[in-house]
Amino acid sequence: MAGTGTFSYAPAIALFPLVAFVVALVFGKYMPKKGAIAGIFATAGSLLLSLVMFAAVAGGEVYHETLYEWTSGDITSQVGAEEIEFTFGILLDPLSTLMLVIVSLVALLVHVFSLGYMNAEGETGLPRYYAELGLFTFSMLAFVFADNLLMAFMFFELVGLCSYLLIGFWFRTRSAPSAAKKAFLVTRFGDYFFLIGVVAIAATFGTVAFAGDDSFVTAAETAINDGTQLFGFDARTWVTITGLLVLGGVIGKSAQFPLHTWLPDAMEGPTTVSALIHAATMVAAGVYLVARMFGYYALSPTALAIIAFVGGFTALFAATMGVVKDDVKQVLAYSTISQYGYMMLGLGVGGYVAGVFHLMNHAFFKALLFLGAGAVIILMHHEQDMWKMGGLKDKAPVTYYTFLAGALALAGIIPFSGFWSKDEILYDALIVGLEEPVILAAYAMGLVAVFFTGFYTFRMVFLTFHGEPRSEAAEDPHPVGWAVKVPLITLGILATVVGLANLAPIAKLLSIDITFLEFWLDGEYGAIEGLTYHEYHETVPFEEGYISSETVTMLIGAGVSLGLALAGAFTAHTLYNVPEPSRHMTKLGGAYTVLRSNYYQDEFQVWLAEGVTQPIARAADRFDRTVIDGTVNGVSSISLFGSSRVKRIQTGIVTNYAALLVAGFIGLLLVLGLYGGWF
Amino acid sequence: MMIEILIAVALVGALVTFVAPNRIAGKLAFAISLVPAVLSLWMFTAFDGSGNALLDGTLAFESQYEWLQLGEYSISWFVGLDGISIPLVVLTTILVSLAIMSSWTPIDDRESQFYGLVLFIEANLIGVFSALDFFLWFIFWEAVLIPMYLLIGIWGGPRRKYAAIKFFVYTNVASLVMFGAFIALVFGLGDSVTSFALPEIATAMLNGGPDGFLGLEGTTLTSVVFVAMFLGFAVKVPVVPFHTWLPDAHVEAPTPASVLLAGVLLKMGTYALLRFNFTMFPGQVETYAVPIAAIAVISVIYGAMLALAQTDLKRIVAYSSVSSMGYVILGLIAYTQFGVGGATFQMVSHGFISGLMFMAVGVIYNATHTRLVTDMSGMADRMPVAVGILIAGAFGYMGLPLMSGFFGEFTIFFGAFGAEQLPYSQVFTSLAMFGIVIVAGYLLFALQRTVFGPYELETDYEVGRAPLHDVVPMFVLLGIIILLGVAPDLIFEMITDAVDPILNGGEL
Amino acid sequence: MTVAVEYYVLLSMGLFCIGLFGVLTRRNALMFLMSAELMLNAANINLIAFAFYHGNLTGQVFALFTMALAAAEVAVGLGIILVLYRNFRDVDVTVPTTMRW
Repeated sequence: MAGTGTFSYAPAIALFPLVAFVVALVFGKYMPKKGAIAGIFATAGSLLLSLVMFAAVAGGEVYHETLYEWTSGDITSQVGAEEIEFTFGILLDPLSTLMLVIVSLVALLVHVFSLGYMNAEGETGLPRYYAELGLFTFSMLAFVFADNLLMAFMFFELVGLCSYLLIGFWFRTRSAPSAAKKAFLVTRFGDYFFLIGVVAIAATFGTVAFAGDDSFVTAAETAINDGTQLFGFDARTWVTITGLLVLGGVIGKSAQFPLHTWLPDAMEGPTTVSALIHAATMVAAGVYLVARMFGYYALSPTALAIIAFVGGFTALFAATMGVVKDDVKQVLAYSTISQYGYMMLGLGVGGYVAGVFHLMNHAFFKALLFLGAGAVIILMHHEQDMWKMGGLKDKAPVTYYTFLAGALALAGIIPFSGFWSKDEILYDALIVGLEEPVILAAYAMGLVAVFFTGFYTFRMVFLTFHGEPRSEAAEDPHPVGWAVKVPLITLGILATVVGLANLAPIAKLLSIDITFLEFWLDGEYGAIEGLTYHEYHETVPFEEGYISSETVTMLIGAGVSLGLALAGAFTAHTLYNVPEPSRHMTKLGGAYTVLRSNYYQDEFQVWLAEGVTQPIARAADRFDRTVIDGTVNGVSSISLFGSSRVKRIQTGIVTNYAALLVAGFIGLLLVLGLYGGWF
Repeated sequence: MMIEILIAVALVGALVTFVAPNRIAGKLAFAISLVPAVLSLWMFTAFDGSGNALLDGTLAFESQYEWLQLGEYSISWFVGLDGISIPLVVLTTILVSLAIMSSWTPIDDRESQFYGLVLFIEANLIGVFSALDFFLWFIFWEAVLIPMYLLIGIWGGPRRKYAAIKFFVYTNVASLVMFGAFIALVFGLGDSVTSFALPEIATAMLNGGPDGFLGLEGTTLTSVVFVAMFLGFAVKVPVVPFHTWLPDAHVEAPTPASVLLAGVLLKMGTYALLRFNFTMFPGQVETYAVPIAAIAVISVIYGAMLALAQTDLKRIVAYSSVSSMGYVILGLIAYTQFGVGGATFQMVSHGFISGLMFMAVGVIYNATHTRLVTDMSGMADRMPVAVGILIAGAFGYMGLPLMSGFFGEFTIFFGAFGAEQLPYSQVFTSLAMFGIVIVAGYLLFALQRTVFGPYELETDYEVGRAPLHDVVPMFVLLGIIILLGVAPDLIFEMITDAVDPILNGGEL
Repeated sequence: MTVAVEYYVLLSMGLFCIGLFGVLTRRNALMFLMSAELMLNAANINLIAFAFYHGNLTGQVFALFTMALAAAEVAVGLGIILVLYRNFRDVDVTVPTTMRW
């Protein structure tokens, strides 16, 4: 493996933001812009290095190197390995370098945007903010280039910590700390399963490496081929079980049903943080992990089907909730859940390229939308209710057009980036679904969700930017500076054109080789053996079917999804693109209430925490204080009581003592006499 | 000679501090306590032992002198360190120094006696972790109780007498059970032992065990002794259901005493379990694997549930100690290199982390004079640094990666998951791991209510930042915790080196 | 002609029982002391009688010790009685029970 030259700088990608964290934390107070500069330089450095790595991988090199041994020891693994090493290492292959570029780019733009969003607003605690951003970026970058599952888990957890800190940034309120706690707890619940998965995989295969001959993926494949029994299970079953355990962490972090509830609450954090969490870090981490160990999931059709079904269900489920929200950030939050559902669907049907493609596109257009929402919030003097907005189109053209580009991408309107990736996911789902009924159901849910996506996206756009201003703030918006506009424009361009990376439908129609991302992930330029799309595709055990022919299937799929998206957008247009829109959603009656209440998922989880767990805890406490401690105190009470009775023999009257003495003597004599046979 | 010097410095220091004026006692005790701390760190770097102290290992800083002849048995001054004990000695000396510094603020009465007792505890704790003769070890073991009893009973909270007596009587009765059992074992071993030196007894145990005593068969005697000693140590650990003295003692104890109690005294229990039960009775460990693992899991989950129901910060941390020590038992019963090694690592790691947590809670208490979660809110507004460290410590407790707690828990889970001699090990491990969710639950709830939110606290004075000498010890601890989390092999390698002979039945 | 040893034993037994009876029934501390003296002397009679009977002097020597002991006892006992009287204005042994627990 190439361990020299360019790649020896790879650790710095993550270390730059770590340094920025320390600098901002310790010296932030004394620095101009309160530590923002350190963060901007660090993320810019990371971006630069990531691009260099990207170029190097494009040049046909890959990097897989263990840098530091955490610990090692003896084990008795199920497949016969006798030693295990837990290490920190870097794996730079097409997937991770692509993700590194995305993460560092979004992080950089978020840092820049923060200058306009946080500094300009005179927030307190800015050094803390920038320090936490730095730590967040560090954790995510290190997670992305991790070369083994344990390292990935460790930085996965650190990402969770940072999201906790940043969501709770405004700790003086009551709601922010509560949302932060919820985010950490819900994802922690998922990570519980993830940790069992890590431990199980390590104990089974004696390795946690992602790539190479000694990776757990290879070991699992061998075990399946050899028909080995693992912990009393058939090898494939055990792979399914462990894969699903790891998936628990993914469902938590990527906010899939039923662990999605933390994400809308996480909007309590600064909008910049939401952009970072949703586009490139925390939420992306889950799906990225599935892509990272896709070879493992590819071994288990059950796990894949579950991923696909959960994804499809979440896509639809979240999209319906997004339809009734009034807060612009809430709409975006539910759209995030829904979009990550698509990625899961794509990966679950074996559409590795499609999933990663959507992950990339989503990172750009969702960062754009959140930063756009941040800009709107600045414009609106910190008002987030869409019903108080309106008419911002002419007053803030830059914000409007960039936001519109993001919205078109999100809704999946041709030719914006979201269309290409979403279409590819749905196509992959369709061709597998024609053979597998479960996947067909997932596909159907994904398809219906397209309509809702188009609808809520344009409902948001129309309510925010079109019509007449509906409040004083909307009539007289606060101006936004360059620090806001530059990131928006950058992301706006990216959201529009990044779809060019993989124009699969056009490539198929015209038979030209323009599916660059597929080539990229397939190792045309350079990849690590075993981690290519090609090989994943061969492992995935799904049959594929077509309606008459491949092209026709593709055209039907694309047509239907585009038609649904346009239908959604058009419905929103008729309902809301009017000077004085009204709340049509309330006409839904009971359904509206259910949707507004998020299907009572929050209530359910709060009930689990407060209605079930806390009473149990209190009962345990009562049991502890009464029965267990009662027994302990009872023993001492009995001793005390007993001695208080016995001590009464000591009357203090000498005569009694003497009498006792005599009586005792006589008694002793009698006893001895009886036993000695004197009588 | 090094160990004797450590103990002597602490003992003489205790006497000197006892007679020193109150005014300077704190600073003086701190200065004295630095000597063992620095010396033990030097010993740590110069450590050249290998293998297990009881099983033919090479001891570091060994010394042995004949002391008494008791019938056929000789008792000697026999001390030495192996890879298991040296991290614990370092933990003790460092934690004592930092605890002394952290008590400068809260202790304002009879200082010289207070600090003298703390140093006296230190001497005995070092003795417990280094003694290799049963009688010597037992003297140190019991002598730890007296100063701790006084620390709680004199400088404690409102119910200090109840707590102190409960602590003393409970642990003392447990010691009696253990002592009786061990003496029976030694007599049962008959001619094969001629002294109370632990290595000799361990060898005799592994070479066939006792012939019988008091009419009991050899195997029965071994089982009875194993169970009795397990119960004796279980109280000290403490393991559910013998844990109820702990929250009372913690709540009433002054902060530095809590730090030592949670940080070091609890480790005596698990250390003794490892040294006696898990080294000398490999057969019984296998026989009783399932019940002990069940107790461990119950301790983890039940302790965590209890912590969830508390509103007193110290009680929360106290119950979470029960939960954390459950992990240690799980690691021990796994009987694999990662399990037992991880358990030993977790002892050290939990010592530092719980010490940090008690200090942080103490600092907040110094400022607010309340520990009730319901009484305060938004403390981060007034004491950002102390609260920042509290948050860091809480996440350490939750097992955040790159902090020592994660390494301990991960290795325990990993070692226990694949444990061959523990039936249903996967089920036990998965159940115990749910503790990491509950611990996050109660700590985050507590943080949310106390340090976040709008600032609310009813006082007739202004709550300001904590003084430097309150914060410095916490920074030091945090540094150690992160260091051990990033580079666990600093101690894990020597631990596994000392653990391996146990697992191989005495063979290297 | 010597008196048979049984009679000595009977005498000392009678003496002892008188003393014991005194200890058990009297409440006056002085009477107590006297009764105790009686019992001691009962023991002395036994010691001397058996010493004479066996023909060695150990018992007689012990009797001397007992007498010295009795003298000391009387001294201490009278002291206690004086203190009792000073504190309680009485020499009734059933009154001062405060020191029992």
